[in-house]
Amino acid sequence: MRKIRLLILLFVGAALMWGPVSLQAMDKEANTIDELVSMFDESSCMECHEEIHNQWSQSWHAQSVVSSLGSIHNFIEIGIKKEWNTEVTRGQLLKCLDCHAPVINYASEKLAVEIADMIVTATKEKGKPAGESAKKELAKLNVGCLSCHNLKALAVAPGWNGPREEGMIYGPHGEDAGDAHETLESIDMTRSAFCMQCHGIYTAADGETIQCNTLSGSYQNAYVAKGGSKTCQECHMDKGHMFPGGRDLDTVKQGLGFDLQINPYRHLPGQIKDVKDAKKWVPSAVVTVLIENRAGHRIPDG
Amino acid sequence: MVLDVTARNLAESDPEKQVLFSDQKKYFEIGRDMEGRMRYGAWQIKEIVDLTLQPMETQKEQFLINFDTDVENVEIEAVLTYFVSGKKKDVVYSIKENIAFDID
Repeated sequence: MRKIRLLILLFVGAALMWGPVSLQAMDKEANTIDELVSMFDESSCMECHEEIHNQWSQSWHAQSVVSSLGSIHNFIEIGIKKEWNTEVTRGQLLKCLDCHAPVINYASEKLAVEIADMIVTATKEKGKPAGESAKKELAKLNVGCLSCHNLKALAVAPGWNGPREEGMIYGPHGEDAGDAHETLESIDMTRSAFCMQCHGIYTAADGETIQCNTLSGSYQNAYVAKGGSKTCQECHMDKGHMFPGGRDLDTVKQGLGFDLQINPYRHLPGQIKDVKDAKKWVPSAVVTVLIENRAGHRIPDG
Repeated sequence: MVLDVTARNLAESDPEKQVLFSDQKKYFEIGRDMEGRMRYGAWQIKEIVDLTLQPMETQKEQFLINFDTDVENVEIEAVLTYFVSGKKKDVVYSIKENIAFDID
């Protein structure tokens, strides 16, 4: 019996050593942002995945809260408080932050409300010490490694996939990462439906629909319906984990074709009003502009 | 996103008088709430009116332009501008072509 206990202890100890520290305590709730961030500490990821980390650092995923402060502030101040005349709760805040910072699911009710207050302060006091301090704290929240590679990894098809394993890293190939961490293949991460969790109409737990952007609607109902077969990842991972989109001019150019055709001619005399000489042929042109949408969704959007 | 088409008489030195024709087409979504009011908040928008460019389609815009009888040389410019967010914009494409007319 002692041997079995020792073996169990050794096994648990090894798991704690090998698995990312961040994923050890996901069943508890954090009461501060630092505690929340440490629960999902991703600092060890960059030790092996430096290039990917550098790409991600330049992405909008890396600043998914601070780049959207105005919109989230409006949701809190105008949406929740004024129009809906209801309390700011974690459940309400998740209508934005389940996508903008999925770790918020592990914030305590108290912390979630504090984060909402910080968002309001960062917006209202922009440029002032209180606002900048709040923004600095909020910058710790984003769509980080574990947001996709764990929290959202299986969420598209939970029935089929079964429950997400805490402490597991999910990737498209399930490649062995040696002693660093265990990896399970998640084919879901290669599919458009994975991105659609957030890049589409978001349906909250209470049924409220939030329409930040509607790319997935257009992708499904227009692009795929017309025979399109590319996935989100095929275009938007051209630059790896930078996920360039509408804010990247190269990507916008890739998605659009543009051509100008001019057919000059001379119009019949006497038919065009207000010309200097009604008896003369009128210089004219038919100008045709062709704009091709090569993207897998409507343009503009997102 | 905005398409601007402008025709200029290059024989005219005053830039304001150069413009013989200009037109604009806008491609965008109108978000509306359940009462059909145009809204901007993600929580307010429940439906959209779609005036965007559709995937796997080529949008054709045509402009018939009549100039004055003494216009000989015209520069036609088409500019496609993408509004990234708010007032921040990028010119995605810009094409200029010149045409000449024989005047009787």
